[in-house]
Amino acid sequence: MIQVLISGLFLGGVYALLAVGLSLAFGIMGVLNLAHGSLAVLAAILYQKTLVHYPFSPWTFCALATPIFLGFGLLLHLIIVAPFRNLSLTGSLAASLIASLGLALILEDLFVWWQGWEPISTHVTFPTFNLAGLKIPGLRAILLGMAAVTIGLSTLFLKKTDPGRSMRALAQDKEAASICGINPGFTSMSALGLATILAGLAGIFYSSLYPLGPREGLDLTLKSLFIVVAGGMGNLRGPAVAGLVLGFIESFAGILFSYTSTDTVVYSLLVFYLVVKRGGRQQ
Amino acid sequence: MLSSAVYTKGYVGIFVFSLIINGTMAVSYDIPGRCLGLISLGHAVFFGLGAYGFGIAISKGLSFFPSLILSVIVSFLGALLITLLLAGLNHGYYSLSTLGILIIFQRLFETTEGITGGSAGLYIPETISDLQCHLLAAFLLLATAACHALFSRSRWGLYSKETEASEEAAEAIGIPTRTVKILCLMAAAIPACMAGMLHLARTSHVSPVSGFSLTLSITALLASRVVPVRGILGPLLGILLITAAEEIIWTKFEGFNHAWFGLILLGAALYQGIDVRRRKTISAVVENPLSR
Repeated sequence: MIQVLISGLFLGGVYALLAVGLSLAFGIMGVLNLAHGSLAVLAAILYQKTLVHYPFSPWTFCALATPIFLGFGLLLHLIIVAPFRNLSLTGSLAASLIASLGLALILEDLFVWWQGWEPISTHVTFPTFNLAGLKIPGLRAILLGMAAVTIGLSTLFLKKTDPGRSMRALAQDKEAASICGINPGFTSMSALGLATILAGLAGIFYSSLYPLGPREGLDLTLKSLFIVVAGGMGNLRGPAVAGLVLGFIESFAGILFSYTSTDTVVYSLLVFYLVVKRGGRQQ
Repeated sequence: MLSSAVYTKGYVGIFVFSLIINGTMAVSYDIPGRCLGLISLGHAVFFGLGAYGFGIAISKGLSFFPSLILSVIVSFLGALLITLLLAGLNHGYYSLSTLGILIIFQRLFETTEGITGGSAGLYIPETISDLQCHLLAAFLLLATAACHALFSRSRWGLYSKETEASEEAAEAIGIPTRTVKILCLMAAAIPACMAGMLHLARTSHVSPVSGFSLTLSITALLASRVVPVRGILGPLLGILLITAAEEIIWTKFEGFNHAWFGLILLGAALYQGIDVRRRKTISAVVENPLSR
């Protein structure tokens, strides 16, 4: 039972990282980015391909790949946000949703062509620790710690830095933020860049722990979207906690049900929570 | 060329039928999409419900019309339950919930192998001729278009526009917004269910992936937005363009089908953005010619 809890904790940490990135995009720009999970898969594939030539540890590769993912985020902004600035609220939501889904489908086929159908696994051998009779895989513990530190740093960035405060201001009221001198285009580009970095890190961590299919991007995105809505948009703490909870639920459901039924249970709980919360009305 | 066999048999027959069914899905999607501004990613749930309801009835030994009636009743109840569940949500939350429900049904129908055939799906014998299928589908499309036109022009259509503009204001002036939403969503759900039934009657096979397909939902969404023409002509022209493009992609390009479809989605979305900018620029110049 405790081992299942620990396993859920590690999985939840990865979900939390993925969801926090999406919360930035959804909360600040109002963009439903369905390609978010595909970016995580892209990061995993890049790491796997790099491992063939340079056996970097996950944390070393994360440091090296951060500027690359920042670049991807800026490119993503040009595709799914910038073209729809002049549309109405529902129009821009629909357009960015369609554009990001189109991008996700393109990326999925590219991943299969590049990687093949085999799952991506970048497992690095690391010792297992014994703590009060419990087996704690060292790699998982380190990656969980890194995820927590990343989320913490992102929270500090949003709260204590000027760019972070600009992002929060934009999330609250775009017009008022513009009047106060905040450049909405640059700020939303930065937010998406940060979101993409977090997605990339989540992909690297996920593939180090579990095999990741080249077409699993959309599944990851959907879970992240639900976590974001359950935990609250525009803030980081809520989705982080919700991600951890989802990790626990999935771990326990995985023991009680088959793989496909686990998905059914998880999504049912998420939809039920969404309906009960009636966030749309409160928004 | 005028023989009905040309339009009901072979490749042309399947293409024409796909066009009619996709048209029904797009026009039915447009009812809540245009009137309430709601973006549904799970419109295919109703399609799948209709198809599976019909398929299960046929596989239990019922003939075509009793299966059709039973399937309509079951689909109606299923659609009502889903609609009641989602009617209280707005915009992003609604879109997300519809997507979640689509995935739930897909996974659920994959696991209930005894009833639904699992991930392999359900196969049924031929129940009616291809010509009868096409005629019923064409009638369904006309009925859906008529429903769309009548709803938009009725007081419920006006109520839905007020609800879209501001739900709080609409409630304040006495509009039963929840009833409006339920009526609107049910008016969209029932034709989609029947489209699923007819699709299964024509193709004799449905699986969780094909029945509860995100691609089908997105196609309906895209069709209602890609051609900027008001009324039912917009979704119909949109679906004509998209279905034709899809056919070319699936037949000419192997192995990158999803990528090409993704490219169409991307292109259509970007076109929307560019078109709005162009119109804004033109209207700005018209209002103030001296600004040039």
